[in-house]
Amino acid sequence: MGRSIALSLLPGSLLFAVFILIPLAVLLATSFTDWDARLLEFTRIDNYRRLVSDQVFWKALGNTALYAAAGVLIQVPLGVAVGIVLAEHIRGWKIFRAVLFTPVVISGAAFALIFANVYNPRYGILNWALDLVGIQGPDWLFNVNTSLLAVSGTFVFNIGLFMVLTMTEVAAVPIEILESAQVDGASRLQRQIHIVLPLLRHVTGTCVLLSLLATLGFFDIVFILTRGGPADTTVTLAVYAYRLYTAGQWGYANTVGVLIVVAGLLMIMVMRRMFRIGERPL
Amino acid sequence: MNTRTAELRTLSTGAYYTLLGFVTIAALLPVAWVVISSFKTNPQILSDAGSLPNPVTFDGYRNAFTDVELTRALMNTFIYAVGGTVGALITGFFAAYPTSRLAFPGRQALVVAFSLALAIPLVGLIVPEFFIVRYLGLFDTRIGLILFYSAMFFPLSFVILRAFLVSLPYELEEAATIDGAGYFTILFRVVAPLAIPGLATVAVLVFIFIWNEFFFAQLLTISFENLNVQTTLAQFRSAFQRDTAAQLAGTTVAMAVPITAFLLLQRYVIAGLTAGSSR
Repeated sequence: MGRSIALSLLPGSLLFAVFILIPLAVLLATSFTDWDARLLEFTRIDNYRRLVSDQVFWKALGNTALYAAAGVLIQVPLGVAVGIVLAEHIRGWKIFRAVLFTPVVISGAAFALIFANVYNPRYGILNWALDLVGIQGPDWLFNVNTSLLAVSGTFVFNIGLFMVLTMTEVAAVPIEILESAQVDGASRLQRQIHIVLPLLRHVTGTCVLLSLLATLGFFDIVFILTRGGPADTTVTLAVYAYRLYTAGQWGYANTVGVLIVVAGLLMIMVMRRMFRIGERPL
Repeated sequence: MNTRTAELRTLSTGAYYTLLGFVTIAALLPVAWVVISSFKTNPQILSDAGSLPNPVTFDGYRNAFTDVELTRALMNTFIYAVGGTVGALITGFFAAYPTSRLAFPGRQALVVAFSLALAIPLVGLIVPEFFIVRYLGLFDTRIGLILFYSAMFFPLSFVILRAFLVSLPYELEEAATIDGAGYFTILFRVVAPLAIPGLATVAVLVFIFIWNEFFFAQLLTISFENLNVQTTLAQFRSAFQRDTAAQLAGTTVAMAVPITAFLLLQRYVIAGLTAGSSR
């Protein structure tokens, strides 16, 4: 029996070790080195010191925080609100659910191409629409004042995942609570704000965490649309790490990589505490 | 119901549909505009953003399939998606079974490690992944990318399948064990058939994720023969900037596969994402 169990655990453990565990160890170890095509040299915490005075790094960190804010303050509330509404099973809810979930299965690369065209200053639909009301729109992606806003616009309305998570959670709200509130004369809107919303603490936390983790790895759309430009106004931590990798600064790229991974793990631990996520037994 | 509640009810219904209408337009209009414009000619795209295709043309599609190797990219993506899905499915199921239904030392540590891996932002691991894949002689090979995707989605597969297996009644294997069936016989003959809804959920979800994957395809393949459809799209942005119709057509084709899969298998996709995200 023991041998069978070990045999059955082997393939997954092997993949896990080779492609996740060992890379993590290499990442951490080499983040303390000067590593390029010619040399690999242990430089203690020099890379981490370099981060402190690295303008582009701070820019990337700041932008990542701003994208996270867009996610947490716009994308998540919209998703939760729509989820609560659709959980009422109002007319057409199934169609709205399917339609609003669809963007979740569209790739980042496809979204990048979609918005490259939507924002195109010559023939894009956005400036065409603005033109109708007499506004001359900017070159959204390549104007330093609008680029970050434009990139945020590519994902804030992609709410499908948060919507369905909320719908599942609302479905689990005990019907007796809602019924007794109805007897007490609470309107539908009141019921949702005072009863449903507080019960969604757990799922809201999950949504916030997922949104933060997505921002932490935010790469495809930025990389394809702007490469982080213009003037680093849209660069994220992931795009910056990739840039360092292509520049052959592997040790330093890994230092940024360590921050990304550590930030991800920290977020999970903090959010678990705050919202009591994952307290169901593993 | 008194008049006041009735009024409030109408009011909130109105507010509901306003919200839904706004969000639907904001989320879908850009996508719909691209799909519609993909049936226009280049001059029409450039001159008239707000109009419908007139006449409807498939030039963009023809050019997308002839000028860039879209057919090969689609084939590659299909191979990666099927290979990676099978890999993640088998490894995930084999690991989920003992950790959900049997007791053995170190079980909890494995569960925690595999589940935690689900949340690690793998984009941080650019350099190590590149060198390990190259060290194994797997750089720029199809099998390399398939193995990598199997590993990348093993944690997701494990978590979803384990949640599913935990919920099955325990009497199942007991009867089989008494009959003298061995571990793998039980795994294949008794547990697997019952786990089919869980396996289907993982399969659809992982297939869509791999189909849409860009970052590691870009990092771990380089020759034209091995590009997937997402990296090919990214090249559209630089190399074929002029043929906008082909660009829009290529984007539409790339989206069509996961959207179709989702619409046909909605239940599985939503169930899988809900189970995979809330743990």
